Amino acid sequence: MKFLVLLLILFTSCANGEKSLEVERGNTRYGGYLAFASVSDPKSFNPVLAKETSTTSITGLIFEGLTRVNVYTKEAEPNLAKSWQIKRGGKEWVFYLREDVKWNDGVPFSADDVVFTFNSLIYNSKIPSSASDVLKVDGEPFKVEKIDDYSVRFTLSSNYAPFLMAMGTDILPKHILADVVKADKFNSFWTLDSTPSGIVGTGPFKLSRYIPGQLVELVRNEHYWKKDKDGNSLPYLKGVRFLVVPNSDTALLKFLDSEIDYYSLRGEDYAILKPEEKSKGFKIYEVGPAFGSSFITFNQNNSINPKTQETYIDKRKLEWFRDRRFREAVSYALDRSSIIDIVLNGFGYPQSGPLSPSSGYFYNSNIEEHGYDLDRAKELLSDIGFSDIDSDGILEDKSGEDVSFNLFTNAENNVRVKIAELIKEDLINVGIKVNFLPLEFNNLVTKLSSSYDWEAIILGFTGGIEPHFSSNIWLSSGHLHIWYPKQERPATSWEAEIDKLFKDGVQALGRKKRKSIYDSWQEIASRELPLIYTAIPESIFAVRDKFGNLDPNPYGGVFHNIEEIYIINKEE
Amino acid sequence: MLIYILKRFLIALPLILVISLVAFLFINLTPGNFFNQMRLNPQISEETIEKYIELYQLDKPVLMQYFAWLKRIIHLDFGYSFAYNIPVAKVLGTRVLNTLLLTLSSLFFTWLVALPLGIVAAVKVDRAWDRLISFLSYVLLSIPTFFMAFLLLYFAYLAGILPLGGMVSANFTELSLFFKILDLFKHLIIPTLVISLGAIASLVRIMRGNLLEVLRSNYILALRARGISEKRVTYVHALRSAINPLITIFGYQISGLLSGAALTEIICNWPGLGSLMLSAVRSQDIYLVMGSMLVSSVMLIGGNLIADILLGFADPRIRVK
Amino acid sequence: MKELFRHRRGLIAVIILFFLYLGAIFAGFISPYHYRSEKRILSYAPPSKINFFDSKGDFHFRPFIYKYKMSLDQNRRRVYEEDKSRAYPIELFIRGDNYKLLGLFPADIHLFGVAAEAKLYLFGADSRGRDLLSRIIYGGRVSLSIGLIAVVITFFIGLIVGGTAGYFGGKIDNILMRLCEMVMLVPGFYLLLALRSSFPPEIGTVKIYFLIITILSFIGWASLARVIRGIVLGLREKEYILAARSVGLSSFKIITKHILPNTSSYTIIALTLSIPSYILGESALSLLGLGIQDPVPSWGNLLKDAMAIVQIKLHPWILIPGLFIFLAVVAFNMLGDALRDIYDPKRKII
Repeated sequence: MKFLVLLLILFTSCANGEKSLEVERGNTRYGGYLAFASVSDPKSFNPVLAKETSTTSITGLIFEGLTRVNVYTKEAEPNLAKSWQIKRGGKEWVFYLREDVKWNDGVPFSADDVVFTFNSLIYNSKIPSSASDVLKVDGEPFKVEKIDDYSVRFTLSSNYAPFLMAMGTDILPKHILADVVKADKFNSFWTLDSTPSGIVGTGPFKLSRYIPGQLVELVRNEHYWKKDKDGNSLPYLKGVRFLVVPNSDTALLKFLDSEIDYYSLRGEDYAILKPEEKSKGFKIYEVGPAFGSSFITFNQNNSINPKTQETYIDKRKLEWFRDRRFREAVSYALDRSSIIDIVLNGFGYPQSGPLSPSSGYFYNSNIEEHGYDLDRAKELLSDIGFSDIDSDGILEDKSGEDVSFNLFTNAENNVRVKIAELIKEDLINVGIKVNFLPLEFNNLVTKLSSSYDWEAIILGFTGGIEPHFSSNIWLSSGHLHIWYPKQERPATSWEAEIDKLFKDGVQALGRKKRKSIYDSWQEIASRELPLIYTAIPESIFAVRDKFGNLDPNPYGGVFHNIEEIYIINKEE
Repeated sequence: MLIYILKRFLIALPLILVISLVAFLFINLTPGNFFNQMRLNPQISEETIEKYIELYQLDKPVLMQYFAWLKRIIHLDFGYSFAYNIPVAKVLGTRVLNTLLLTLSSLFFTWLVALPLGIVAAVKVDRAWDRLISFLSYVLLSIPTFFMAFLLLYFAYLAGILPLGGMVSANFTELSLFFKILDLFKHLIIPTLVISLGAIASLVRIMRGNLLEVLRSNYILALRARGISEKRVTYVHALRSAINPLITIFGYQISGLLSGAALTEIICNWPGLGSLMLSAVRSQDIYLVMGSMLVSSVMLIGGNLIADILLGFADPRIRVK
Repeated sequence: MKELFRHRRGLIAVIILFFLYLGAIFAGFISPYHYRSEKRILSYAPPSKINFFDSKGDFHFRPFIYKYKMSLDQNRRRVYEEDKSRAYPIELFIRGDNYKLLGLFPADIHLFGVAAEAKLYLFGADSRGRDLLSRIIYGGRVSLSIGLIAVVITFFIGLIVGGTAGYFGGKIDNILMRLCEMVMLVPGFYLLLALRSSFPPEIGTVKIYFLIITILSFIGWASLARVIRGIVLGLREKEYILAARSVGLSSFKIITKHILPNTSSYTIIALTLSIPSYILGESALSLLGLGIQDPVPSWGNLLKDAMAIVQIKLHPWILIPGLFIFLAVVAFNMLGDALRDIYDPKRKII
């Protein structure tokens, strides 16, 4: 009899699962640190001035915006704003803010902070903000007004389709920054030598310690507004650490050694890590193609250099590069599967268009693809008029000069350098001679953006799900329209077509309508090949087994829900 | 002596000036500037970038920029680092200390090990110890430093006791003072070994070579003939002469270590001056480059000065007339 | 010279260097393949197994290999198996890839190799299926020549400047030494970065590289000069020099006939220690991507590809170029020691 009772008690307690265990042991989810490796130091703690990933991966945990992106639907969802109303066909938005949010120093959050962030920071002409370009329509900033303590009105000069996405921009505290801005000191505020407790945000973590060149430590924000489904305040983790490890191989060793808990794999790391999964207590997640793009591009800039009264590069070569058949031939001559096998160790996908398949809704799979076809490439090249007159294995153009060009990329990026070496070898097979030289990144950028003295470059862009955020690349007037930037008028009919598509796309509010617009864009891009895409790597992550609530997601990565992550079976 | 030192300082100043000018010109030889990097971010506009360039006067002619920098340096204002957005002096501060720590520990370890080994090799010339030591020296000299750093890290990983690069562990903040020092020390071991092993190898050979030569010289022969014990002859007289040339090397090692340490610092992730300079040059963070270059120039000249003074002390015949 | 051959270590050094340089000069003939010859499907193939016994157990006098079959295991790791259906004997003086003997005469005969359908990988293959042995042999051309050229330049300048400064002392010494310091202060490494970026890319990378090495050696002479100056200062006061001076020998004669030869042992050590440092310097540059570019191999850039944990664990043969660097450096060091032993009249010759 006693035995049965015991069994019953045991059974009921097990059936209630973790919750009862928690209640008994007193909320064991709390505590512990999560350690990442970061390639470099952050450059600042100021999210308005922040430029690159090593900074934003930290400020992203300290600050938040009115909206955030839902990693499943890939659409904006409420965050600091609990709801909103759209009026006047998208030209007016009213946001209703949460009333339970506090800054990490305890001061309550309100509409004043939102208005301050936009009017005094983002739209402040004295502050070089990277966010401001995304928060304008037709160059016009939004009108931002406080309605009451918890509601704000945004008035736009015209529809702006990515508006909700753009509202993910960080909101900063007025009570800390107002005086700083008045004194014109914002540009040197919240720099690396600031007192950690002074970096005030509403996010789940706050800065606790920074050791230059070594470590950034964040601890949990006790005032964070989010709670779990049982009403416990989040985050569970005691803190997050970023260890500065510039070298990927060292990071791999540190991961195996349990010094860090997360590692983003390169293709060649898989064969090393996979066999150790069980014994070292971690799991590898393959979440699909990465975002962004990787490509080779040719200079099509035939404007005249005012200083020399000539084109920026040899006119003959410009003629080749501007001929679509040339670019198509190169695309056919690329052995993308070699790139995937050798450079990415098999973990990659051939790419033909500007969006990665992971982008979701806007991805168009019906675009022109060019498989590895040397015959077709040679056909196209002879159509243009190239032939090997002197039988030296290199084609000559109609004027008898060798078909050859310079290829650059940035020396620090090993993957791109390897791809360049492969492409160089591939193109010899069709009789084109490539002179490859890796350059320092800054030098490369100067050539791309001011001196224009380059012929071919291998590069890549980071990407996301909102096509409009790459408008600087695709608008012919854009300064990132790298094959021929800042055009006064579109140089070709297809560029004019893309201009129109982007102008329409940003204002169209219906999703389906936008999709068909951006579908056309992708078709044009894959046909005209201003950027000849190569391959996208697979996103592969390795994470220690010790975390609960892990939800790896192709868009969000492994820790998109970091405030819900906890450590199972902590020490102590 | 004092006058000599003073004279050297006075001469050093125009020297540093010329170097700074040369360096400044070379950095600007590479077309472009720091803010070009931002041009590739689709979300930053032209105006934003132009604003930065104006803010830092990067559009003015090179010589003008140089003189502006010079003016500030005289007031001990090292200028701003673009990348870190804080004064250069602050960025340099910790880094210089870190490099000094590494340099000093390497120097200490090198001489601690190399001198006795060199002496042993010379005294027991061509016998087992000498052969072993010479062989090891050859081996150590021939391995590229970065490769050695890499291998040591790998073995450290396999052995599991030493930390894999960096200067502090992830849980540094939680440790007590004693453990903090211990943690630092543990992290110092591999980079020190990497730098020292090569230096030890060459120093051992030089020490051995010098001592051997002295041991065969006439005046040592004379001392022996006078009946002075072998031990005294070797360790008191011969050693003293043999060490002389080494003193010059000591000075150069200080300065040499600063530049040669860059690769080691990068691979072992030691946050020192070398790795800082490299990334600063690559990103054209001009004032940071100039600042760190200035500091290392001062250290180099200082090292040479120390070497010359020591040489003067050791060999009175060489004192400057 | 004769004494060199009698000195055991010297002899070993000479032999090693002889073979290394022989390989470099006759690279095309000695290597089984041209350095560009790829076979991408055989990425990271392990060294070929040289068989004497076939699958039936019969002995063959001439060694042979089998073709490789590549497959991926469940960890996406490449696995290579021998395809025992056909044996490919290793032949001497076989026809193969085209090359230019001594850079001038087109030829296609190789010292040894196998028929074109199979690939002979004595040292394994790299990421693109290129034969590592061939690439190492070709790589020697760059790595071994760099040391020689740079050292010749450094030698002359350093000796003249250092000798003069040390001997005359006073103002001349001061000026020359300040000059040295100035030159040494120029951050050579960063100079390199800057210069590298400003070269037009049409110059072949090999030309760029020699240009850069020349520049580096123009900076490198300064430290040699300083060391020599220190030694000369010491020597200057020696009795026999004072004697020579009192007899009325001209400074020039004294420097050349008496002082410089006595600096020779230190000079030689310094020189032999610097050839390797240029070889090692080349590897350091390649690590940063600033050295000789693919597909032209140098020991430095071959080593660069090996600098990842993954490679060591999965394809350890990639490290072999390091062994060659090591051999060359050791050989030069041994040679330097041997030469010093010979020149030092009080030293017994082994």
